[in-house]
Amino acid sequence: MMEALQFDFMQHALLAGILVSFAAGIIGSLIVVNRMVFLAGGIAHTSYGGIGLAVYFGLPIFLGASLFAVGAALLIAALTLKKRHRMDTFIGLIWAVGMAIGVIFVDLTPGYNVDLMSYLFGSILAVSKEDLYFMAVLLTVILAVVTLRYRDILAVSYDSEYAGLRGVNVRFFYTLILILSALTVVIAIKVVGLILVIAMLTIPVYIAEKLSASLFTMMFLSGAIATLFTLVGLWMSYTYDLTSGASIIIVSAVSLGFFLLFNKRI
Amino acid sequence: MPIIKIKELSFAYETQTVLEEINLVVEEKDFLAIIGPNGGGKSTLLKLILGINDYKQGSLKVLGKAPKDSLTQMGYVPQNTNVNTDFPIKVIEVVMMGHVDGKRPLFGYGKDEVLCATGALKQVGMADFAQTKIGSLSGGQRQRVMIARALCAHPQILILDEPTSSIDITGQREIYELLKVLNEHITVIVVSHDISVILEYANKAAHVNKKLSYHDISDKHSTFHTHGNDGHFCEIELLQMLGAENCDTCTSTGSVTVHSTGSVYDNKKSVLAPVEGKWRLKP
Repeated sequence: MMEALQFDFMQHALLAGILVSFAAGIIGSLIVVNRMVFLAGGIAHTSYGGIGLAVYFGLPIFLGASLFAVGAALLIAALTLKKRHRMDTFIGLIWAVGMAIGVIFVDLTPGYNVDLMSYLFGSILAVSKEDLYFMAVLLTVILAVVTLRYRDILAVSYDSEYAGLRGVNVRFFYTLILILSALTVVIAIKVVGLILVIAMLTIPVYIAEKLSASLFTMMFLSGAIATLFTLVGLWMSYTYDLTSGASIIIVSAVSLGFFLLFNKRI
Repeated sequence: MPIIKIKELSFAYETQTVLEEINLVVEEKDFLAIIGPNGGGKSTLLKLILGINDYKQGSLKVLGKAPKDSLTQMGYVPQNTNVNTDFPIKVIEVVMMGHVDGKRPLFGYGKDEVLCATGALKQVGMADFAQTKIGSLSGGQRQRVMIARALCAHPQILILDEPTSSIDITGQREIYELLKVLNEHITVIVVSHDISVILEYANKAAHVNKKLSYHDISDKHSTFHTHGNDGHFCEIELLQMLGAENCDTCTSTGSVTVHSTGSVYDNKKSVLAPVEGKWRLKP
């Protein structure tokens, strides 16, 4: 393992793993306490539409996926704020249509067959310097938002009706949480892929929730737990020559199993 | 100046009329109980007072202003406080949510805010639980925390939507005793099904079922006795009590009273007394 760290791509993979895990831990906490897991899944799959469009028009993949995911997040925010009871239908619809758009645009792209699998299951060994910058900037934005606007986010997540009565702009913060989720999903696609991203956003969070007395502790504990899982998963992937994204998820799931066995407070 | 003044207020969700020509005046330090059947519009009336719903017909003034401009003067305890009990949040953090958006530090909470929240928790007898996770409290304790949250902004009016629906009888009494103490300084409005308890503590009762009939019950104590040993009786009996007999605008069918108009019915001089085995308001 140590000799592997001399390679650039391995260093990039580790750094990306840490940055993405921390972002996923924090945003995953918000997704779980706001009961938006299905919603995040929808955004993750929809972002494949952005990947397809980016490939077709020759744009950077990250840019295409981010714009498309944020667009989907805004659409979902607008729909769910208006018709909350029909939310699941809309999300299922956006989920499938986004993927379909992606597949069709990849088909239409002449002479270039993008490796679909690398987006579905991650390709952490192919993280570039630019990807790392993007991840670092996003993590900084997330940290700034959750520390400086912690009270508003807490109020909207815990009791949005009451938050509204106390003058908090519920729509704004709800939409903000969704946009940050969309961007986090996009960077997590690099590490674990868009199918597995949901596990990364929920397993560490579930463990942290049981161990935390406040949302703030939960967010940072989730980040730390997610980082641990990612590092162990990467080590496993390297040692046994397995797909990295799937390894990370299996490590997380097995850890969750042990946690449930030994934590009697559940 | 009345605390709340509602005139000819009507409200409808899309095509379904929920409230019709409501008239209501709440004075300072009143303890108003809002009763009525499920779906009768009680919660809707509260939401209108709180400015959550917009009305189209009639007028509604809270402290002489539109509800949305008086939000900081109103403390609100929502109906169901048992949702989201898994949420990782400490009691003190819940209470501090009651603070109105104003000057605040860049990060975390201000010292004065913490002091104020601790004070509110003391007022409701929950000071020892400040650092406890909200999910590990009992229903009654959680309700107290929600009252503390409402008190945090030093409101002139405290509005509670069925505050005791998920609490046992002892817990209910404790909550109402607490409200009684708070009522010495602030106006209290309670939506409730706990009729017997309400009657002991409220000085006015409004029965809402699309329309509103209003009763002053502040004189009840002179002759008021509950029947049974547990001091509890059901809504039907109360409706009989507050119902028809003395009210020439209401019609009584069987044991359930149907109010046919929304006229205000002042009953200052009447008292509650048993008539033919039923409780009635007697002049």
